[in-house]
Amino acid sequence: MMMNPQIFDSVLPGMSMKLSFLADVNDGFWFPKQASSFAAESDWVYFMILWICILFFVPMVFCMVYFPWKYLKPKGAKAESQTSHNTPLELAWSILPSFLLVWMFLQGTWSYLDIRTVPDGAYDIGVQAFKWGWTFDYGNGTFHPELHILKDEPTKMSMRSSDVIHSLYIPAFRAKKDVVPGRYNYMWFKPSVASEKVSESELAAAKAEFAKAGGAWNYEKYQFTPDGYRFYDLYCAEYCGKDHSKMQTVVVVHETQAELDAWIKQYSSRPAGEEPAVYGEKLYNRRGCGSCHSVDGTRRVGPTFQGFYDRQHQFVSGDTITADANYVRESILVPKAKVVAGYAPVMPSYKGQLSDDDIESIIAYLKSLSADAPAAEATTPAAATDAAGDVAGATDGKATE
Amino acid sequence: MSTGSIPQGRVVRDPGFPTERENYLTTSKGVFSWLFTLDHKRIGMMYLAGVTVAFLVAGLLALAIRFHLLAPGGWLFNRPIFKSFSDKDPNDIYNQVFTLHGAIMVFLFIIPSVPAALGNFLVPVMLGAKDVAFPRLNLSSFYLWVFGAIFFVSALFASGLDTGWTFYTPYSTTTDSSVILATMGAFILGFSSIFTGLNFIVTINTMRPPGMTWFKMPLFLWATYSTSIIQVLATPVLGITLLLLIAERTMHIGIFDPEFNGDPVTYQHFFWFYSHPAVYIMILPAFGIISELISVHSHKHIFGYRFIAYSSIAIALLGFLVWGHHMFTAGMSSLTTIIFSALTFTVSIPSAIKVFNWLATMYKGSICLTTPMCYAISFIFLFTIGGLTGLFLGTLATDLHLHDTYFIVAHFHYVMVGGTLVAFMGGVFHWWPKMVGKMYNELGGQISAGLVFLGFNLTFLPQFVLGSRGMPRRYATYDPEFAFLHQVSTFGALLLGIGIFVALVVLMHSLWNGRKAPANPWGGATLEWMCTSPPPFYNFDRAPIVGDPYDFEFIEWDNDNDRYVTAEPERKLVPGESPAPVHAKH
Repeated sequence: MMMNPQIFDSVLPGMSMKLSFLADVNDGFWFPKQASSFAAESDWVYFMILWICILFFVPMVFCMVYFPWKYLKPKGAKAESQTSHNTPLELAWSILPSFLLVWMFLQGTWSYLDIRTVPDGAYDIGVQAFKWGWTFDYGNGTFHPELHILKDEPTKMSMRSSDVIHSLYIPAFRAKKDVVPGRYNYMWFKPSVASEKVSESELAAAKAEFAKAGGAWNYEKYQFTPDGYRFYDLYCAEYCGKDHSKMQTVVVVHETQAELDAWIKQYSSRPAGEEPAVYGEKLYNRRGCGSCHSVDGTRRVGPTFQGFYDRQHQFVSGDTITADANYVRESILVPKAKVVAGYAPVMPSYKGQLSDDDIESIIAYLKSLSADAPAAEATTPAAATDAAGDVAGATDGKATE
Repeated sequence: MSTGSIPQGRVVRDPGFPTERENYLTTSKGVFSWLFTLDHKRIGMMYLAGVTVAFLVAGLLALAIRFHLLAPGGWLFNRPIFKSFSDKDPNDIYNQVFTLHGAIMVFLFIIPSVPAALGNFLVPVMLGAKDVAFPRLNLSSFYLWVFGAIFFVSALFASGLDTGWTFYTPYSTTTDSSVILATMGAFILGFSSIFTGLNFIVTINTMRPPGMTWFKMPLFLWATYSTSIIQVLATPVLGITLLLLIAERTMHIGIFDPEFNGDPVTYQHFFWFYSHPAVYIMILPAFGIISELISVHSHKHIFGYRFIAYSSIAIALLGFLVWGHHMFTAGMSSLTTIIFSALTFTVSIPSAIKVFNWLATMYKGSICLTTPMCYAISFIFLFTIGGLTGLFLGTLATDLHLHDTYFIVAHFHYVMVGGTLVAFMGGVFHWWPKMVGKMYNELGGQISAGLVFLGFNLTFLPQFVLGSRGMPRRYATYDPEFAFLHQVSTFGALLLGIGIFVALVVLMHSLWNGRKAPANPWGGATLEWMCTSPPPFYNFDRAPIVGDPYDFEFIEWDNDNDRYVTAEPERKLVPGESPAPVHAKH
């Protein structure tokens, strides 16, 4: 039967890639690239266990296949032997493998202790996990959804969650730790391979295309960040609700301190001469506002920003209030004070995480979204029905920038 | 001696066929004779029907999961048909589907499958008893199961359930899906499980027949006994946990939810203190089945009886000490983590002992590759993979990478599906002639075993690689580099589904077209093969005198009548024994 390859392709995009999954950014068959000091250690333990398992498994499978073939008898034939036990043999196969288990345990535990013990003076990055995104705190009021770190520098993550349990997982580093609300969890690693930078022309081409298409930066498509770096994947590994599978971002490992500093500086505050509304849009993308508030009228966890500012809204309390600058400021700092009717009070506070100028810029951005937008829909939650399906398409990127 | 001829000078014993009045299926008629029955066999059959329905529902949900994961951005739930009757986001649908798949499979199928369905039927018969110790408690446990199932299904129709079967806080205390309905369901099911366990403990302790010492019990009874101990000791903790969860959700008592100064990790400790032993509730009875199947279909004495029996008890006890290995990444102290890792390794030893003993039992046996034997060998292969891959997860360094990835998904499916489900199907094929009195089509059964084996491996082997390459579990969408392996897995799931469907057709077909089953179609030496197929209402007229359950010396193939019979030399009757009925032909 002939099959139209295009139809096949539209249904099963991966099939046409055939075995190209082996030649992806990742290296081996079993594992992604080793990019931290633990990766080699962890993989070594893995392969050690694998070979011990194969050592046991192959003879066992041989018995499973050979015995039924060799001792296959017609009905009614008596077994050649009725041996019911052999104590020395049974003791031997009970006790001897235990030594291998002890060996596995010790190897695993030694490596684990390395992974658990944070060295003094490790570079500390604050991590805030929320439904459904990540914010990394680089100090001095610089926050960004991408994780940027320095090669060969021990880096400690001090992690907290503002809602449910998440888990920070970087496969290339073989590192994972749950982010539990109500406590700080720590992890550390030492990245060992720096991210490459793509050529200027490739970056320019992608940026031009991105500017034309709009929306969120598509990390999967370009396979580099908007700053032109190749990256490692960072996933949320603990189930956390609707967009759990989209709670992903990227890790960029910089070669030199100067390069990392320059990258951080870019994002530390509003560049001189930039319009507050333009910077507000960047903050909207960078700080994860978009995971709950759309700008195109789509209903998400919170009300859309399209046509929100300066309009009247119905609130849970029953009041009708105009969403002015003071209201927006209050909602950023004390989100649960006034909640729009039809939405749950789930937004975390941004107190201490946004400067005065940042809030000002966000207000300016909201104002620009109301300038030529249709009348607000946020007051009528019923409008949600037909829009819900579009969310998948709208947030098809990883971290939004 | 040619095969199948019965040596001269032996007394051939076979109970023949039951009359309609004797047969437990036909002895009384009407729906109420079933709904209010106290007969353990009928209760077992009702359980069998119930868990099969639960399994088919959850199995279809599993296929839905796999078909959603056909494409990186999600496939099935993005189809327009889903939009037409639900305004839910495809991710939300996916989350509810995988939650229901897990919850139904665990609470409604795997936990009651072997103990409640097969156990209820077999425990009294294997003991030569007329019924379990508390027949009314037995019936009430079945109805608790039904009520628990209704709660689960109503959760589906209320607002769905999206917490995962583990109900982790604070997600479960904050989500607006119907957590309380579902946890009430699990709570009720817990009581059903406790009642069954209690019943079996008392039955096995007090109702063994003359001659059946502890070490003359069939190994299935040892496995059931160990399971019952866990059910009685661990399930109350689940009840407490779920009540606390409900209290946290409704009254904010502040034990699990950090917003009220609770600690989410405390919930995980509570939950896994039950749910890890529950893993052994799921797998221990399967071990029991396999011990019977391998020995009977190899027509050879089980090798290392005592080691197998003791290892069941060892697993039941050690299983209580390893719950922390579900939380290696949750932020326990290093010392706690290391201790739990060490304890975890100890559980692997008794499991390995059993596998070695089964293989040794086949050595120099007289093996018939019947359908149950095909399932049993398939079990050993799949369970060995499931067990060995557990070593990667018990080892701390590798667990940090593999935890919460598809590696875990593959590992526990190898244990729960490759282990428990395959053993359950093997057990059903093995005891089906006894339960319904009909033989099924052997070739059809063997084909189903082959399809299940192939389909299962095709589904879950790729998932090990997905996991070690970093694919997190419970993802509704995924990065394109994982697409190929996901698609292989989906095709495997389809094949597995077909295999299970074939098994179902073979069994159903036998009800109408199967030939009448003899009392002992496989040549077993345990007591259930000494009464008619199906057994009479009272199983045995009087308590039989028993010896070694794995002594096949006097079990002979009667070629003329397509059955195995007991053909003992003439002997003096034991005092109190009445001569067994003799049927040379029928």
